[in-house]
Amino acid sequence: MKLVVGEGSCGIAAGAAKVYDALEQAIGEKDIHLGITGCIGMCFLEPIVDVYDDNGELGARLVKVNPAQAGRIVDAVSSGDLSSIQKLMIKDEDKTFLDKQTRIVLRHCGKIDPTSIDDYLDDDGFQALGAVLDHMQPEEVIDEIKTSGLSGRGGAGFPTWFKWNAARHAPGDEKYLICNADEGDPGAFMDRAVLESDPFSLIEGMIIGAYAIGCKDAFVYVRAEYPLAIKRLENALKIAEERNYLGDHILGSDFSCHIHIKAGAGAFVCGEETALIASLEGERGMPRLKPPFPAESGYNGKPSNINNVETFANVAWIIHNGGKEFAKLGTEGSKGTKVFALSGKIRRGGLVEVTMGKTLREVIFDIGGGIRDGKEFKAVQLGGPSGGCIPASRLDTIIDYKALQATGAIMGSGGMVVMDESTCMVNTAKFFLEFTSKESCGKCVPCRLGTKRLLEILTRICAGEGKEGDVELLEELCNAVKDGALCGLGQTAPNPVLTTIHYFRDEYDAHIRDKSCPAKQCADLVTYRIDPEKCTGCTACSLRCPVKAIHGVAKSPFEIEQSLCIKCGSCYNNCHFGAITRE
Amino acid sequence: MDSIKITIDDNELTARKGQTILEIARRNGINIPTLCHDERVKPYGACGICVVEAKGSAKLLRACSTKASDGMVIHTDTDRVKQARKVAMELIMSDHVGDCRGPCTINCPAHTDCQSYVHEIAQGNFQEAVKIIRDRIPLPSCVGRICPHPCEDACRRNLVDEPVSICALKRFASDTDYDSEHSYVPPVAPDTGKKVCVIGAGVSGITVAYFLRQNGHKIDVLDAMPKNGGMFRYGIPNYRLPKDVLEQEINVLRYMGVSFHNNVCVGKDVTLDELRKKYDAVVVAIGAWKDQPLRCKGTDLDGVIGGCEFLEQIGLGKRPEIGKNVAIVGGGNTAMDACRSAVRLGAENVYIIYRRTREEMPAEDDEITEAMEEGVQFKFLYNPVELSGENGKLTTMKVQKMRLGEPDESGRRRPIPLENEYTDIQVDTVIGALGHTLRPEGFEQLEMTDKGTIEAGLHSFRTSLDGVFAVGEATNKGATIAIDAIAQAGQAVDQIDAYLYGGTSFYKEPYYSEKKVSESDLADRPKIPRHPVQKRDRTLAKSDFQEVNYRYTKEDAMAEAKRCLECGCFDYGHCTLIKRANEMPIHPERFAGSQHPSYKEQELVCIERDQGKCILCGLCVRICDEVAKKGILGLVGRGFPTVVKPEFRDPAVIAGCKDCQLCFDACPTGALKLLVPEKEK
Repeated sequence: MKLVVGEGSCGIAAGAAKVYDALEQAIGEKDIHLGITGCIGMCFLEPIVDVYDDNGELGARLVKVNPAQAGRIVDAVSSGDLSSIQKLMIKDEDKTFLDKQTRIVLRHCGKIDPTSIDDYLDDDGFQALGAVLDHMQPEEVIDEIKTSGLSGRGGAGFPTWFKWNAARHAPGDEKYLICNADEGDPGAFMDRAVLESDPFSLIEGMIIGAYAIGCKDAFVYVRAEYPLAIKRLENALKIAEERNYLGDHILGSDFSCHIHIKAGAGAFVCGEETALIASLEGERGMPRLKPPFPAESGYNGKPSNINNVETFANVAWIIHNGGKEFAKLGTEGSKGTKVFALSGKIRRGGLVEVTMGKTLREVIFDIGGGIRDGKEFKAVQLGGPSGGCIPASRLDTIIDYKALQATGAIMGSGGMVVMDESTCMVNTAKFFLEFTSKESCGKCVPCRLGTKRLLEILTRICAGEGKEGDVELLEELCNAVKDGALCGLGQTAPNPVLTTIHYFRDEYDAHIRDKSCPAKQCADLVTYRIDPEKCTGCTACSLRCPVKAIHGVAKSPFEIEQSLCIKCGSCYNNCHFGAITRE
Repeated sequence: MDSIKITIDDNELTARKGQTILEIARRNGINIPTLCHDERVKPYGACGICVVEAKGSAKLLRACSTKASDGMVIHTDTDRVKQARKVAMELIMSDHVGDCRGPCTINCPAHTDCQSYVHEIAQGNFQEAVKIIRDRIPLPSCVGRICPHPCEDACRRNLVDEPVSICALKRFASDTDYDSEHSYVPPVAPDTGKKVCVIGAGVSGITVAYFLRQNGHKIDVLDAMPKNGGMFRYGIPNYRLPKDVLEQEINVLRYMGVSFHNNVCVGKDVTLDELRKKYDAVVVAIGAWKDQPLRCKGTDLDGVIGGCEFLEQIGLGKRPEIGKNVAIVGGGNTAMDACRSAVRLGAENVYIIYRRTREEMPAEDDEITEAMEEGVQFKFLYNPVELSGENGKLTTMKVQKMRLGEPDESGRRRPIPLENEYTDIQVDTVIGALGHTLRPEGFEQLEMTDKGTIEAGLHSFRTSLDGVFAVGEATNKGATIAIDAIAQAGQAVDQIDAYLYGGTSFYKEPYYSEKKVSESDLADRPKIPRHPVQKRDRTLAKSDFQEVNYRYTKEDAMAEAKRCLECGCFDYGHCTLIKRANEMPIHPERFAGSQHPSYKEQELVCIERDQGKCILCGLCVRICDEVAKKGILGLVGRGFPTVVKPEFRDPAVIAGCKDCQLCFDACPTGALKLLVPEKEK
């Protein structure tokens, strides 16, 4: 028997490491193996402990485990009778979260121990690399990728084979392969999961890519905010090199390749490929003009190819199973699967990998279980700060690069934030502009000043100081920023504003004309009052008010002093009698 | 060598492979504006001004960096391109914190470069000062005496103590220059063969003649009066503007080759059509000489006269009989000139009858004060209702008491009559100074406005007749102050000039960057009181028409000039940023928001950086790195608050900065200032 604790950053944050320690202690001398795996993908059920039988089959999945339950679990497992821990087992309805997914990128995640190359090898690991080095020419590799239809998963969706081919045929002997692991979108954690849960798969994909384009040195540019990912990747690189899957004369072939890790300092713009290259070179992380494209002149002015983590994680599967198999999945224009980090006001949040062509509704309602707390779905935000908000009327849009783009949003790298009726869409646009204006590198005018001015206009609208014509001004400025910004960050930064204006214009108008926030989220436009008919004088609100704005005598109706109220909503959330109104 | 074909704005061009769109355009004389580009350094693409549209490309391309490819079709001036450039420029200007020009210059209707001439006076370079003044003002000694000086109203020194005495300094410089052996006469361009007739030798006409003559045209100025100067001669009394001073100024135009023809009345001696045939262009600058009549009974009595008419008599050298008791109705400058002239003519009781209060009086405050000091009795909140007399001779003015109501469209509070509150004043003469308008006789062919003034294009100065332009008080909104008339006439010159060469042009008010400054920003400036202008003894002054105000002494003038806070930018004349900004119809106020804090810092040996003015084009950083090979500067921070500073503030790096000045020379605006070390000064 074996117990496996899900130890991705998400699991650890939920207490998985403590659960592991408690289980270790409870097991003591008993004949139960204890191991770890990476992210299983069900953030909403962490910490998760999987029980495997002696044949290596998953016997039971225990969820929301806490360290105090370790003894009971070990007793049950060692006795072979799991009925006593029935209550800890995952509910059938939650199983649909994984059952409805198709996992290629995440094929090893939550299954293997990310620190063990043997686990990886047991699950078809490095077979693709072996085949490539044994009998495939670089051109054949590129052809296979072309057949698969794989496109860049970082967001732009550019055909991967094309970039590889361009880099391969760029003049020069010295070429570089770079993995973009600078995952910076708020609410996105797909790449982190792969790095933490399946680093060997990334390494294998990168070596195959390096072989295809003909480069000897590759880099993983990973944000320093991912310490666990860096640790596991470093470990995997060390082991892979020891076992000759990496380094000189890989698997006895003539091909040599080294992979280096570069930890980025956390600038969002460094996810933009030219800024990433600048940062890699030790320069200020600031985008450069394209052309020349990196395939022509990239790192140190040499031909360079950049793909993101998810793209590389697909490569070994494609080579192993054949490009045709991959191409069977998905739609005409978008092949394979896509991983999403599903978050927000959703019942089941976590990592979701689905075949292209599924609808947003299927992902959000079938897999994610719909909206939490019985509220109404309002919008889903795709593509992070570069993306847009898609309303309920467009829920049947399929996961497909073109189809999503037609809504005004983008596929993006995989952030999928679900919003309910209590989310103000103007405030949402403001949130994203706060992010992009801070993260703008400061180089070009349309981005540095354009995003700042957009934010200022949105801020005044949310504060009830919007003016007639502000929406038109926003649109004009958005279009100018899209047209004039130097890099992808700026060119896409207006998307959250434009899509919210497009789909939720009435909310903008309500803020500007009626000085009201329909979602009751914008503090400056909300007033809390106590209904004296319903107030019992229980003092609950008064005690919790952080600014002591609620006065009264116990057992008679209380009152809110509006001049002191900071609109935090604490009274509203704590009243047991529904006596607080919010208007 | 590989050559490619490229089309830019419908021009089919051949270029070398590898050339950028900008290089090709410039080589072929096609203008693509740039701001952050410099041929010495690698393309950078920060400003977004050089964008162009390429056929088949969804994105706009930056011309500075995009290499042309064969068959490319480029458009440099589509609406989309213009819009992108305009918004980029508006964004830049919304965070460019600085004054292009001092508030004095901006508030002067003629945008006279006050700061510069005040600076020259402070340095003792009086003729240099006059050259700067004469760039805008053809009659500096006159204007320096009578201008209501909007420049001083705007002077930022108001926030410290009192404004710089800009107007009196102008008079000082100009008078001093006339006294010098070789006083300044503006250069005149070679003869163009074009002839222009200017009707009216007043301020507007003289201004038009002065500037058109400098452009090399032959100018004839016609005037109906025996002498030149218009209102300067016949409207403003000698004690304010001595006529010898005026004559001296007009003589400068004679030196320049302008011909004056007096006693020529258009409509009587010559018709407008005859002039149109004889000249390439005609400029109507006939002024506003007709008094608005008093709106009460009895105005036909002997002893009732209009303000302009009264002053005209004095200007002609006559001494009108006005008796002992004189009342002037009105609150403007003509009323002040009339009442103070009445005092000088020996009247014992001189009254100002004004239906509002001193607050609302349009006359200059100094003029009011001086009139009061000379004994004029101000009767505020009174309005004449009836004039009566004996044997056709005026004796009595009945006035009604008023109170102030709500503000009217002019913003002044409206006077409301109080019923049954009347007073009689014994008067020998009543002078009506309620404004003046033109005498349209001889110009009936021209279309008129509702106000009865000549209709002239606000930016073209054209009238309804081809080749006939009109400027000054006879046009549009009517009577105004002299500097306004000078400004308008100056604006008209380029449009007339364009017409002479067969073109059309319109005056465009320049865009200036302006900075908000409050009292607290200037709290550290030492308070230095304004140097008063010496005046003639009061008793003596009111007994004749000799000039009241004296010229500054040289010492006082230089000391006064040193009070200037020098608000305007030292780089204005060379600033690429403001040049570009003025090429587009921008409204940066649309994007008003937070701005970079406007502080100056000197972290390098001889360079002072104004962070408020810096537009982060990165030229200094790149020049220092790529051309000077020093790499001393870098961008610090991210997003909006980004600033340029020495890299890591490393003293060793900073020490590398010597005196190459490359960054200073490259800066497209006035963000960098070269500080000359003390010993080299």
